Amino acid sequence: MTLTTKRSLFIFSIAFMLVLGGLSRTAFAQVPDPGTPGPFAVTREEYDFGDTAFTATDFPGPIELRASIHYPTNLAAGPFPVILFMHGRHATCFAGGSALLQWPCTSNNSQPIPSYKGYDYVSEVLASNGYVVVSVSANGVNAVDNSVFDLGALARAELLQKHLDILKQFNTTGGAPFGTKFIGKFDLTRVGTMGHSRGGEGVVRHYVLNQSLGAPYGIKAVFPLAPVDFNRFVVNNAALNVLLPYCDGDVSDLQGVHFYDDARYNVPGDQAPKHYELIMGANHNFFNTIWSPSSPFPGSANDWLAFVPGGHSDEQCGSGKNNQRLTEAQQRGTGLAYMSAFFRVYVGGETQFVPILTGDAPPPPSAQNSNLFVSYHAPDNPELRLDVNRLLNNTNLSVNNLGGAATQTALSPYSLCGGDDPQPQRCLPDQPNARQPHTTPSARSAARGLSQLITGWNNMTGNYRNNIPAALGNVTGFQALQFRVSVNFADARNVEGLAQNFRVVLTDASGASSSVRVSDVSAALYFPPGSVGPVPKVVLNTVRMPLTAFSGVNLNSVRSVQFVFDDRFQGGLLITDVAFASAPR
Amino acid sequence: MKRILMNRPLAIAVALLPLLLAGSLGFAQQNAQRTASPPNKELPLRQIVKLPGKLLAETKTTGPTGDLKLTGYRVEEVTLSQSLSTEVRGQQVNVNKAWRVTVTGGPFPVRALPAVIWVDDQIVGYGIENETLSQITAVTFDDSLIHDGGVVSLSYGENKEGRTRISQKIQLKREGGNQ
Repeated sequence: MTLTTKRSLFIFSIAFMLVLGGLSRTAFAQVPDPGTPGPFAVTREEYDFGDTAFTATDFPGPIELRASIHYPTNLAAGPFPVILFMHGRHATCFAGGSALLQWPCTSNNSQPIPSYKGYDYVSEVLASNGYVVVSVSANGVNAVDNSVFDLGALARAELLQKHLDILKQFNTTGGAPFGTKFIGKFDLTRVGTMGHSRGGEGVVRHYVLNQSLGAPYGIKAVFPLAPVDFNRFVVNNAALNVLLPYCDGDVSDLQGVHFYDDARYNVPGDQAPKHYELIMGANHNFFNTIWSPSSPFPGSANDWLAFVPGGHSDEQCGSGKNNQRLTEAQQRGTGLAYMSAFFRVYVGGETQFVPILTGDAPPPPSAQNSNLFVSYHAPDNPELRLDVNRLLNNTNLSVNNLGGAATQTALSPYSLCGGDDPQPQRCLPDQPNARQPHTTPSARSAARGLSQLITGWNNMTGNYRNNIPAALGNVTGFQALQFRVSVNFADARNVEGLAQNFRVVLTDASGASSSVRVSDVSAALYFPPGSVGPVPKVVLNTVRMPLTAFSGVNLNSVRSVQFVFDDRFQGGLLITDVAFASAPR
Repeated sequence: MKRILMNRPLAIAVALLPLLLAGSLGFAQQNAQRTASPPNKELPLRQIVKLPGKLLAETKTTGPTGDLKLTGYRVEEVTLSQSLSTEVRGQQVNVNKAWRVTVTGGPFPVRALPAVIWVDDQIVGYGIENETLSQITAVTFDDSLIHDGGVVSLSYGENKEGRTRISQKIQLKREGGNQ
């Protein structure tokens, strides 16, 4: 082959991939944008029962009962679904240019920092689309939560439940300050909750609390945003979406990914889908306008730059010329798009946005950003998910979850890490916890992390194969073959800055095969970027390969799924959750 | 930890003062027979932070240290008004003393991850900030952490690699001797 021919082939290949990428995006061009303002005019009001109106169980300080409420101005179309927001830990008061941590604000001339107003940009859009959005102030929790064992999780949960009780009163008998205008206007059987930072654990703890009380409110969807997960509570049987900012300078170990990992197989028959998004250029604070540098309130910060020693110099998350950071507006756009999509699907039943949450459709224009990765775990429903290999224990190294053989050729290592004993607790033993979120320890729980296959290959013959028993080989009912994967940046066989690649091969009963390169459908095999402090980090992102892409193989009788490592000479990966799956209905 | 010699009147005073204060904090309302708290649950850390303590060691740096602008620390012993049941080095024990390590500097950020105070490679406890964010205090019931030559450091989360250390090592004051 001449050099010219090679060059032509290369150019053709690139052009073909671009066209293919364009086609796959075109296929979902009709998915509307959930972050677009809707038809309803919106009114914003507040209710405030005082700085010390609430006391949480065994909690050493008073808590305010204050919240904003966004709702469709014309309430005639009600009752509307209800979304609750809860901010996280931040300074509670300010005096002059100084932030304070006290509650109530008792120092001379000190005033509250209104963290609960920081998500108004989401509330306005959701309310304009027919939702009532209540954002709760939790400064009283923040002031003293480090002095209780669970670091405030139960207090936050009880505070949310109290606000739901207040909304129930507005909805039934009415009450000050709104009189009777909200009677019959809230649908408290359709509720979603979003919590940011410690509020993220708060909404998970609240879900568990509400269930323990007999589920007086219908919590359909829980959205922890850049959350902590100190206590390892789990959301079962409700839709879950965790948003993870790659450049989080506060919760820099992205421990909130445990919420997703822990929930996947926790309850047999769990009909709830689970999602997360890894936002590559996002930090912790910009999702809240009050916490962002453009805010007039003391205590705001660009957390990556403020909290990560040497963070300025990081090429991904720092402040250098070619950094990949999002602006405040871009980051809030991304938050708006995915919060709106999630709640509109799982609380409002607006299923047209599902492809955004499964990663089958690109981020909508309102996201103002496309550098993100969507992961999705389908409901435990035989019509929606067929687990090929969960990779949870050593048995799965030789026998998969379908009872078929799991085998490997020329892979080294070929072992599990990160899960329960006897697996090693960490997959990257020489790397700090912040660089391996799936296995980072939890402050108040001894629970271990995500069980993953750690593997790699040294030549072009590496192969990981899962056989499928004949009785289970009809996969025509599923949309995709999917798995989660990350390039192991600590494995020297990967080249820094260079994406990995491999082929997925399906073989049917007749021996016919079809293969698809991962790079044809996903960019998830990127080399994790960054070099300072918490980055690079391994986050296993979902690769969803449409079964329609496997032409020439009989999907009625698939007999094996193979990962064939012949696209790069060598490499090292972390893999889990191999399954056939479809989007939720 | 080495025992610190104390004269009898002073010992009585130190023991009584927290008792009196604790009464106002509601401790006295609890059943005197029920001296044990649930293991590892709600220890009255916030009250312990506020109780008067006996200064065991103190240092001030020559200038602010690190991004957190640490300016020093102090180590105090606190006598509890009632014994507590808690876990120390893997054993459930009743304790009647606590030790506080307070790091000064800042203003410290109010973050999602808790501040963690260390002595050497051991965690003293999760930090509780004061109102003006100029101090962070952790409480321990393990006196083995409080020793001469110990290095005090601060991190956010249990991030050993990300600690800011104060170079002046713990030097415990000796009762009746040069300090």
